[in-house]
Amino acid sequence: MSAPLLQLHGVRKAYGTRLLFAIGNLRIDAGGAYVLTGPNGSGKTTLMRMLAGLDADADGGLDFRGTPASFPMFPDRLRRAIVYVHQHPYLFHTSLRHNLEYGLKRRGMPPAERARRVEEAIAWAGLDARRATPPARLSGGEKQRAALARARALDPELLLLDEPTSSLDREGRAQTLALLAQLRSERRTVIVACHDQEIIDLPGFARLRLDEGRITLQSG
Amino acid sequence: MDLLEPTRQAFALLLSGDRALWQSIWLSLWVSVAAIALVAAPSIALGFLLAKKRFPGQRAAVVLVQALLSFPTVVIGLVIYLLLSRRGPFGSLDLLFTPWAIMIGYMMIAFPILVVFTISAVQGADPRVYETARCLGAGRAAASLTTLWEVRFGILASVVNGFGRAISEVGCAIMVGGNIAGLTRNIPTAIALETTKGDFAQGIALGIVLMVVALGVNVLLAALQGEGGLK
Repeated sequence: MSAPLLQLHGVRKAYGTRLLFAIGNLRIDAGGAYVLTGPNGSGKTTLMRMLAGLDADADGGLDFRGTPASFPMFPDRLRRAIVYVHQHPYLFHTSLRHNLEYGLKRRGMPPAERARRVEEAIAWAGLDARRATPPARLSGGEKQRAALARARALDPELLLLDEPTSSLDREGRAQTLALLAQLRSERRTVIVACHDQEIIDLPGFARLRLDEGRITLQSG
Repeated sequence: MDLLEPTRQAFALLLSGDRALWQSIWLSLWVSVAAIALVAAPSIALGFLLAKKRFPGQRAAVVLVQALLSFPTVVIGLVIYLLLSRRGPFGSLDLLFTPWAIMIGYMMIAFPILVVFTISAVQGADPRVYETARCLGAGRAAASLTTLWEVRFGILASVVNGFGRAISEVGCAIMVGGNIAGLTRNIPTAIALETTKGDFAQGIALGIVLMVVALGVNVLLAALQGEGGLK
Protein backbone atom coordinates (compact mmCIF):
# COMPACT_ATOMS: atom_id res chain seq x y z
CA MET A 1 0.00 0.00 0.00
CA SER A 2 1.46 3.39 -1.01
CA ALA A 3 1.90 6.27 1.42
CA PRO A 4 -1.03 8.68 1.83
CA LEU A 5 -0.39 11.97 0.13
CA LEU A 6 -3.51 13.63 1.41
CA GLN A 7 -6.00 12.79 4.10
CA LEU A 8 -9.20 14.68 4.83
CA HIS A 9 -10.86 14.34 8.18
CA GLY A 10 -14.07 15.79 9.56
CA VAL A 11 -14.56 18.07 6.56
CA ARG A 12 -17.94 19.80 6.42
CA LYS A 13 -19.04 22.24 3.80
CA ALA A 14 -22.32 24.08 4.19
CA TYR A 15 -24.03 27.07 2.67
CA GLY A 16 -25.88 28.61 5.59
CA THR A 17 -27.93 25.82 7.09
CA ARG A 18 -27.73 23.64 3.97
CA LEU A 19 -25.07 20.98 4.31
CA LEU A 20 -23.37 20.31 0.98
CA PHE A 21 -21.19 17.44 2.14
CA ALA A 22 -19.55 15.93 5.19
CA ILE A 23 -16.44 13.84 4.69
CA GLY A 24 -15.45 11.82 7.73
CA ASN A 25 -12.25 10.47 6.26
CA LEU A 26 -10.75 10.38 2.77
CA ARG A 27 -7.32 9.17 1.80
CA ILE A 28 -5.56 10.03 -1.46
CA ASP A 29 -2.48 7.93 -2.11
CA ALA A 30 0.69 9.28 -3.67
CA GLY A 31 0.83 8.21 -7.31
CA GLY A 32 -2.87 7.36 -7.34
CA ALA A 33 -5.29 8.46 -10.04
CA TYR A 34 -8.92 9.11 -9.14
CA VAL A 35 -12.08 10.12 -10.90
CA LEU A 36 -14.55 12.05 -8.77
CA THR A 37 -18.11 11.50 -9.91
CA GLY A 38 -21.49 12.55 -8.61
CA PRO A 39 -24.63 14.33 -9.70
CA ASN A 40 -24.66 18.02 -10.57
CA GLY A 41 -24.65 20.12 -7.41
CA SER A 42 -23.17 17.37 -5.25
CA GLY A 43 -20.11 19.53 -4.54
CA LYS A 44 -17.41 18.06 -6.79
CA THR A 45 -16.11 21.44 -7.93
CA THR A 46 -16.43 22.87 -4.42
CA LEU A 47 -14.34 20.03 -3.01
CA MET A 48 -11.69 20.49 -5.72
CA ARG A 49 -11.57 24.23 -5.05
CA MET A 50 -11.20 23.61 -1.32
CA LEU A 51 -8.29 21.26 -1.97
CA ALA A 52 -6.69 23.99 -4.12
CA GLY A 53 -7.09 26.62 -1.40
CA LEU A 54 -9.66 28.59 -3.39
CA ASP A 55 -12.52 28.03 -0.96
CA ALA A 56 -11.52 28.62 2.64
CA ASP A 57 -14.99 28.57 4.17
CA ALA A 58 -15.13 24.98 5.45
CA ASP A 59 -14.71 23.08 8.68
CA GLY A 60 -12.36 20.21 9.27
CA GLY A 61 -8.80 19.67 8.26
CA LEU A 62 -6.40 17.91 5.98
CA ASP A 63 -3.02 16.27 6.36
CA PHE A 64 -0.65 16.66 3.45
CA ARG A 65 2.29 14.26 3.66
CA GLY A 66 1.49 13.96 7.33
CA THR A 67 1.54 17.70 8.03
CA PRO A 68 -1.80 19.06 9.26
CA ALA A 69 -3.42 22.11 7.66
CA SER A 70 -6.82 23.79 7.60
CA PHE A 71 -8.88 25.32 4.80
CA PRO A 72 -9.14 28.82 6.32
CA MET A 73 -5.35 28.91 6.84
CA PHE A 74 -4.34 27.19 3.63
CA PRO A 75 -0.52 27.24 3.59
CA ASP A 76 1.46 28.55 0.61
CA ARG A 77 3.42 25.28 0.64
CA LEU A 78 0.22 23.46 -0.32
CA ARG A 79 -0.64 26.01 -3.01
CA ARG A 80 2.63 25.08 -4.69
CA ALA A 81 2.13 21.34 -4.22
CA ILE A 82 -1.48 21.23 -5.46
CA VAL A 83 -2.46 22.64 -8.85
CA TYR A 84 -6.08 23.03 -9.91
CA VAL A 85 -7.23 23.40 -13.51
CA HIS A 86 -10.64 25.03 -14.01
CA GLN A 87 -13.41 23.37 -16.01
CA HIS A 88 -12.95 26.12 -18.57
CA PRO A 89 -9.27 26.93 -18.10
CA TYR A 90 -8.13 30.52 -18.28
CA LEU A 91 -5.12 31.33 -20.41
CA PHE A 92 -3.58 34.75 -19.84
CA HIS A 93 -3.91 37.09 -22.81
CA THR A 94 -0.21 37.11 -23.47
CA SER A 95 1.48 34.23 -25.29
CA LEU A 96 1.51 30.46 -25.01
CA ARG A 97 5.11 30.61 -23.80
CA HIS A 98 4.27 33.17 -21.09
CA ASN A 99 1.38 31.00 -19.90
CA LEU A 100 3.60 27.94 -19.62
CA GLU A 101 6.35 29.93 -17.91
CA TYR A 102 4.11 31.76 -15.43
CA GLY A 103 4.16 29.25 -12.57
CA LEU A 104 7.78 28.27 -13.24
CA LYS A 105 8.83 31.90 -12.76
CA ARG A 106 6.85 32.10 -9.52
CA ARG A 107 8.85 29.14 -8.30
CA GLY A 108 12.10 30.98 -9.00
CA MET A 109 13.24 28.50 -11.62
CA PRO A 110 16.38 29.53 -13.56
CA PRO A 111 15.74 30.70 -17.17
CA ALA A 112 17.50 27.75 -18.81
CA GLU A 113 15.44 25.21 -16.87
CA ARG A 114 12.29 27.23 -17.55
CA ALA A 115 12.98 27.22 -21.27
CA ARG A 116 13.56 23.46 -21.22
CA ARG A 117 10.29 22.82 -19.39
CA VAL A 118 8.33 25.13 -21.66
CA GLU A 119 9.61 23.32 -24.74
CA GLU A 120 8.81 19.99 -23.15
CA ALA A 121 5.31 21.18 -22.22
CA ILE A 122 4.63 22.41 -25.77
CA ALA A 123 5.73 19.06 -27.18
CA TRP A 124 3.74 17.10 -24.55
CA ALA A 125 0.54 18.98 -25.37
CA GLY A 126 1.13 18.71 -29.12
CA LEU A 127 1.03 22.48 -29.54
CA ASP A 128 4.23 22.94 -31.49
CA ALA A 129 2.43 24.33 -34.52
CA ARG A 130 0.42 26.71 -32.34
CA ARG A 131 3.26 28.26 -30.32
CA ALA A 132 2.91 31.65 -32.06
CA THR A 133 -0.89 31.70 -31.86
CA PRO A 134 -2.36 34.12 -29.30
CA PRO A 135 -4.01 32.03 -26.53
CA ALA A 136 -7.40 33.62 -27.21
CA ARG A 137 -7.30 32.14 -30.71
CA LEU A 138 -6.67 28.56 -29.60
CA SER A 139 -9.55 26.13 -29.90
CA GLY A 140 -11.27 24.79 -26.77
CA GLY A 141 -9.30 21.55 -26.97
CA GLU A 142 -6.02 23.38 -27.48
CA LYS A 143 -6.74 25.64 -24.51
CA GLN A 144 -7.47 22.60 -22.37
CA ARG A 145 -4.23 20.92 -23.48
CA ALA A 146 -2.26 24.11 -22.87
CA ALA A 147 -3.74 24.38 -19.37
CA LEU A 148 -2.93 20.73 -18.63
CA ALA A 149 0.62 21.22 -19.89
CA ARG A 150 0.97 24.43 -17.84
CA ALA A 151 -0.09 22.57 -14.69
CA ARG A 152 2.00 19.49 -15.43
CA ALA A 153 5.12 21.59 -16.11
CA LEU A 154 5.04 22.62 -12.45
CA ASP A 155 5.46 18.98 -11.47
CA PRO A 156 2.76 19.26 -8.77
CA GLU A 157 2.35 16.63 -6.10
CA LEU A 158 -1.40 16.64 -6.69
CA LEU A 159 -3.15 17.65 -9.89
CA LEU A 160 -6.86 18.55 -9.72
CA LEU A 161 -8.72 18.60 -13.03
CA ASP A 162 -12.29 19.84 -13.15
CA GLU A 163 -14.36 18.36 -15.99
CA PRO A 164 -11.47 18.54 -18.48
CA THR A 165 -13.49 17.22 -21.43
CA SER A 166 -16.72 19.16 -20.93
CA SER A 167 -17.63 21.38 -23.87
CA LEU A 168 -14.92 19.90 -26.10
CA ASP A 169 -15.59 18.54 -29.54
CA ARG A 170 -14.82 14.91 -30.41
CA GLU A 171 -11.27 15.57 -31.48
CA GLY A 172 -10.56 17.76 -28.44
CA ARG A 173 -11.95 15.08 -26.13
CA ALA A 174 -9.85 12.37 -27.72
CA GLN A 175 -6.68 14.42 -27.36
CA THR A 176 -7.45 15.33 -23.75
CA LEU A 177 -8.25 11.70 -22.90
CA ALA A 178 -4.87 10.69 -24.34
CA LEU A 179 -3.14 13.26 -22.11
CA LEU A 180 -5.05 11.99 -19.06
CA ALA A 181 -3.96 8.44 -19.81
CA GLN A 182 -0.41 9.73 -20.13
CA LEU A 183 -0.63 11.46 -16.74
CA ARG A 184 -1.71 8.13 -15.31
CA SER A 185 1.18 6.29 -16.95
CA GLU A 186 3.57 8.88 -15.48
CA ARG A 187 2.26 7.84 -12.03
CA ARG A 188 1.18 11.39 -11.18
CA THR A 189 -1.31 11.86 -8.38
CA VAL A 190 -4.39 13.20 -10.06
CA ILE A 191 -8.06 13.70 -9.22
CA VAL A 192 -10.39 14.30 -12.16
CA ALA A 193 -13.91 15.52 -11.44
CA CYS A 194 -16.11 14.40 -14.31
CA HIS A 195 -19.29 12.95 -15.73
CA ASP A 196 -17.50 11.68 -18.83
CA GLN A 197 -17.86 7.90 -19.02
CA GLU A 198 -14.75 7.61 -21.15
CA ILE A 199 -12.66 9.20 -18.38
CA ILE A 200 -14.40 7.09 -15.74
CA ASP A 201 -13.51 3.99 -17.75
CA LEU A 202 -9.85 4.94 -18.19
CA PRO A 203 -7.70 2.09 -16.87
CA GLY A 204 -5.96 2.65 -13.56
CA PHE A 205 -8.34 5.33 -12.22
CA ALA A 206 -10.02 4.65 -8.87
CA ARG A 207 -13.58 5.90 -8.55
CA LEU A 208 -14.70 8.33 -5.87
CA ARG A 209 -18.38 9.17 -5.72
CA LEU A 210 -19.78 12.23 -4.01
CA ASP A 211 -23.51 11.92 -3.53
CA GLU A 212 -26.04 13.10 -0.97
CA GLY A 213 -23.33 14.72 1.10
CA ARG A 214 -21.14 11.62 1.43
CA ILE A 215 -18.06 10.48 -0.42
CA THR A 216 -17.30 6.85 -1.10
CA LEU A 217 -14.40 5.06 -2.75
CA GLN A 218 -16.12 2.72 -5.18
CA SER A 219 -13.12 0.96 -6.62
CA GLY A 220 -9.38 1.13 -6.69
CA MET B 1 -17.91 84.74 -40.67
CA ASP B 2 -15.06 83.74 -42.96
CA LEU B 3 -13.41 80.66 -41.46
CA LEU B 4 -10.88 80.07 -44.21
CA GLU B 5 -8.69 83.09 -43.55
CA PRO B 6 -8.33 82.57 -39.75
CA THR B 7 -7.64 78.87 -40.40
CA ARG B 8 -4.91 79.78 -42.91
CA GLN B 9 -3.47 82.21 -40.34
CA ALA B 10 -3.67 79.49 -37.68
CA PHE B 11 -1.51 77.13 -39.74
CA ALA B 12 0.88 79.98 -40.51
CA LEU B 13 1.17 80.73 -36.78
CA LEU B 14 1.87 77.10 -35.96
CA LEU B 15 4.51 76.82 -38.68
CA SER B 16 6.13 80.13 -37.81
CA GLY B 17 7.06 78.78 -34.38
CA ASP B 18 5.26 81.63 -32.59
CA ARG B 19 6.87 81.74 -29.13
CA ALA B 20 3.75 82.51 -27.04
CA LEU B 21 1.73 79.90 -28.89
CA TRP B 22 4.27 77.11 -28.46
CA GLN B 23 4.85 78.06 -24.80
CA SER B 24 1.14 77.43 -24.15
CA ILE B 25 1.29 74.13 -26.02
CA TRP B 26 4.41 72.97 -24.20
CA LEU B 27 2.95 73.96 -20.80
CA SER B 28 -0.28 72.06 -21.48
CA LEU B 29 1.59 68.96 -22.52
CA TRP B 30 4.12 68.71 -19.71
CA VAL B 31 1.70 69.66 -16.94
CA SER B 32 -0.91 67.14 -18.14
CA VAL B 33 1.61 64.34 -18.64
CA ALA B 34 3.24 64.99 -15.25
CA ALA B 35 -0.14 65.14 -13.48
CA ILE B 36 -1.25 61.80 -14.97
CA ALA B 37 2.14 60.21 -14.32
CA LEU B 38 1.93 61.20 -10.66
CA VAL B 39 -1.70 60.32 -10.02
CA ALA B 40 -2.02 57.14 -12.11
CA ALA B 41 -0.32 54.57 -9.87
CA PRO B 42 -2.08 55.50 -6.58
CA SER B 43 -5.45 55.87 -8.36
CA ILE B 44 -5.15 52.49 -10.07
CA ALA B 45 -4.10 50.86 -6.79
CA LEU B 46 -7.08 52.44 -4.99
CA GLY B 47 -9.42 51.39 -7.80
CA PHE B 48 -8.16 47.82 -7.52
CA LEU B 49 -8.66 47.77 -3.74
CA LEU B 50 -12.16 49.22 -4.00
CA ALA B 51 -13.04 46.62 -6.64
CA LYS B 52 -11.60 43.58 -4.87
CA LYS B 53 -11.58 44.14 -1.13
CA ARG B 54 -14.61 43.98 1.11
CA PHE B 55 -14.46 46.34 4.10
CA PRO B 56 -16.89 48.52 6.07
CA GLY B 57 -17.59 51.71 4.15
CA GLN B 58 -16.38 50.30 0.84
CA ARG B 59 -19.67 51.02 -0.92
CA ALA B 60 -19.71 54.58 0.47
CA ALA B 61 -16.13 55.10 -0.74
CA VAL B 62 -17.07 53.97 -4.25
CA VAL B 63 -20.12 56.28 -4.29
CA LEU B 64 -17.94 59.17 -3.11
CA VAL B 65 -15.37 58.64 -5.88
CA GLN B 66 -18.17 58.32 -8.43
CA ALA B 67 -19.65 61.58 -7.14
CA LEU B 68 -16.27 63.29 -7.65
CA LEU B 69 -16.61 62.49 -11.35
CA SER B 70 -19.49 64.91 -11.69
CA PHE B 71 -17.96 67.70 -9.58
CA PRO B 72 -17.65 70.93 -11.59
CA THR B 73 -14.00 71.60 -12.27
CA VAL B 74 -14.35 75.22 -11.16
CA VAL B 75 -15.37 73.94 -7.73
CA ILE B 76 -12.25 71.77 -7.66
CA GLY B 77 -10.33 74.88 -8.71
CA LEU B 78 -11.96 76.88 -5.94
CA VAL B 79 -11.02 74.30 -3.29
CA ILE B 80 -7.41 74.23 -4.49
CA TYR B 81 -7.39 78.03 -4.65
CA LEU B 82 -8.53 78.27 -1.02
CA LEU B 83 -5.97 75.69 0.07
CA LEU B 84 -3.09 77.38 -1.78
CA SER B 85 -4.05 81.02 -1.30
CA ARG B 86 -1.83 83.11 0.94
CA ARG B 87 -4.19 82.68 3.90
CA GLY B 88 -4.86 79.01 3.18
CA PRO B 89 -3.22 76.08 4.98
CA PHE B 90 -0.67 75.61 2.16
CA GLY B 91 -0.21 79.30 1.33
CA SER B 92 3.40 79.28 2.52
CA LEU B 93 4.29 76.95 -0.36
CA ASP B 94 3.65 79.80 -2.83
CA LEU B 95 2.16 77.50 -5.43
CA LEU B 96 -0.87 79.54 -6.47
CA PHE B 97 -0.66 80.90 -10.06
CA THR B 98 2.15 78.52 -10.95
CA PRO B 99 2.12 75.45 -13.23
CA TRP B 100 2.35 73.33 -10.08
CA ALA B 101 -1.06 74.55 -8.93
CA ILE B 102 -2.51 73.60 -12.33
CA MET B 103 -0.86 70.20 -12.03
CA ILE B 104 -2.51 69.63 -8.63
CA GLY B 105 -5.85 70.59 -10.18
CA TYR B 106 -5.33 68.19 -13.08
CA MET B 107 -4.44 65.41 -10.64
CA MET B 108 -7.67 66.05 -8.70
CA ILE B 109 -9.68 66.01 -11.92
CA ALA B 110 -8.06 62.84 -13.29
CA PHE B 111 -8.14 60.98 -9.96
CA PRO B 112 -11.84 59.92 -9.94
CA ILE B 113 -11.69 59.04 -13.66
CA LEU B 114 -8.76 56.70 -13.10
CA VAL B 115 -10.27 55.16 -9.96
CA VAL B 116 -13.75 54.60 -11.40
CA PHE B 117 -12.45 53.19 -14.71
CA THR B 118 -10.10 50.87 -12.80
CA ILE B 119 -12.95 49.65 -10.57
CA SER B 120 -15.00 48.94 -13.66
CA ALA B 121 -12.13 47.16 -15.45
CA VAL B 122 -11.20 45.02 -12.43
CA GLN B 123 -14.81 44.13 -11.61
CA GLY B 124 -15.25 43.13 -15.23
CA ALA B 125 -12.18 40.88 -15.12
CA ASP B 126 -12.77 37.16 -15.28
CA PRO B 127 -12.50 35.83 -11.69
CA ARG B 128 -10.49 32.91 -13.07
CA VAL B 129 -7.57 35.28 -13.74
CA TYR B 130 -6.79 35.80 -10.05
CA GLU B 131 -7.57 32.18 -9.19
CA THR B 132 -5.43 30.81 -12.00
CA ALA B 133 -2.52 32.99 -10.92
CA ARG B 134 -2.91 31.80 -7.31
CA CYS B 135 -3.17 28.16 -8.41
CA LEU B 136 0.03 28.53 -10.41
CA GLY B 137 1.87 29.74 -7.33
CA ALA B 138 1.53 33.53 -7.40
CA GLY B 139 1.20 35.33 -4.08
CA ARG B 140 -1.66 37.76 -3.48
CA ALA B 141 0.31 40.78 -4.75
CA ALA B 142 1.58 38.99 -7.86
CA ALA B 143 -1.91 37.62 -8.62
CA SER B 144 -3.33 41.16 -8.24
CA LEU B 145 -0.73 42.52 -10.67
CA THR B 146 -1.56 39.71 -13.09
CA THR B 147 -5.24 40.70 -12.89
CA LEU B 148 -4.36 44.33 -13.62
CA TRP B 149 -2.23 43.21 -16.55
CA GLU B 150 -5.11 41.17 -17.96
CA VAL B 151 -7.35 44.27 -17.89
CA ARG B 152 -4.54 46.54 -19.09
CA PHE B 153 -6.56 47.88 -22.02
CA GLY B 154 -9.29 49.11 -19.68
CA ILE B 155 -6.66 50.66 -17.43
CA LEU B 156 -4.93 52.29 -20.42
CA ALA B 157 -8.29 53.69 -21.50
CA SER B 158 -8.67 55.24 -18.06
CA VAL B 159 -5.24 56.86 -18.33
CA VAL B 160 -6.07 58.23 -21.78
CA ASN B 161 -9.41 59.54 -20.52
CA GLY B 162 -7.77 61.18 -17.52
CA PHE B 163 -5.17 62.78 -19.77
CA GLY B 164 -7.81 63.98 -22.22
CA ARG B 165 -9.85 65.50 -19.43
CA ALA B 166 -6.81 67.22 -17.93
CA ILE B 167 -5.36 68.69 -21.11
CA SER B 168 -8.71 70.13 -22.19
CA GLU B 169 -9.67 71.55 -18.79
CA VAL B 170 -10.32 75.32 -18.53
CA GLY B 171 -12.15 76.29 -15.32
CA CYS B 172 -9.73 74.92 -12.77
CA ALA B 173 -6.66 76.00 -14.80
CA ILE B 174 -7.86 79.61 -14.93
CA MET B 175 -8.73 79.69 -11.22
CA VAL B 176 -5.48 78.30 -9.86
CA GLY B 177 -3.16 79.21 -12.74
CA GLY B 178 -4.39 82.73 -13.43
CA ASN B 179 -3.82 82.44 -17.21
CA ILE B 180 -0.50 84.33 -16.98
CA ALA B 181 1.21 84.65 -20.36
CA GLY B 182 4.45 82.71 -20.54
CA LEU B 183 3.90 81.13 -17.14
CA THR B 184 0.50 79.48 -16.69
CA ARG B 185 -1.29 80.11 -19.98
CA ASN B 186 -2.00 76.74 -21.54
CA ILE B 187 -3.95 75.59 -24.60
CA PRO B 188 -7.54 75.76 -23.29
CA THR B 189 -7.09 78.96 -21.29
CA ALA B 190 -5.36 80.59 -24.26
CA ILE B 191 -8.21 79.51 -26.58
CA ALA B 192 -10.75 81.04 -24.18
CA LEU B 193 -8.78 84.29 -23.93
CA GLU B 194 -7.88 84.73 -27.61
CA THR B 195 -11.44 83.99 -28.72
CA THR B 196 -12.87 86.67 -26.42
CA LYS B 197 -10.26 89.06 -27.86
CA GLY B 198 -11.41 88.16 -31.36
CA ASP B 199 -8.07 86.55 -32.30
CA PHE B 200 -9.57 83.49 -33.90
CA ALA B 201 -6.34 82.43 -35.63
CA GLN B 202 -4.65 81.78 -32.25
CA GLY B 203 -7.73 79.92 -30.98
CA ILE B 204 -7.98 77.77 -34.09
CA ALA B 205 -4.24 77.01 -34.03
CA LEU B 206 -4.43 75.84 -30.42
CA GLY B 207 -7.64 73.94 -31.11
CA ILE B 208 -5.92 72.09 -33.94
CA VAL B 209 -3.07 71.12 -31.60
CA LEU B 210 -5.54 69.94 -28.96
CA MET B 211 -7.38 67.79 -31.50
CA VAL B 212 -4.13 66.38 -32.91
CA VAL B 213 -2.99 65.46 -29.37
CA ALA B 214 -6.36 63.83 -28.60
CA LEU B 215 -6.31 61.93 -31.87
CA GLY B 216 -2.66 60.91 -31.43
CA VAL B 217 -3.20 59.58 -27.93
CA ASN B 218 -6.24 57.57 -29.01
CA VAL B 219 -4.45 56.19 -32.07
CA LEU B 220 -1.59 55.15 -29.77
CA LEU B 221 -4.08 53.46 -27.44
CA ALA B 222 -5.70 51.60 -30.33
CA ALA B 223 -2.27 50.51 -31.59
CA LEU B 224 -1.29 49.24 -28.14
CA GLN B 225 -4.58 47.42 -27.78
CA GLY B 226 -4.26 45.75 -31.15
CA GLU B 227 -6.59 42.78 -31.37
CA GLY B 228 -6.43 42.27 -27.62
CA GLY B 229 -8.41 45.42 -26.98
CA LEU B 230 -11.27 44.23 -29.10
CA LYS B 231 -11.86 41.07 -27.09
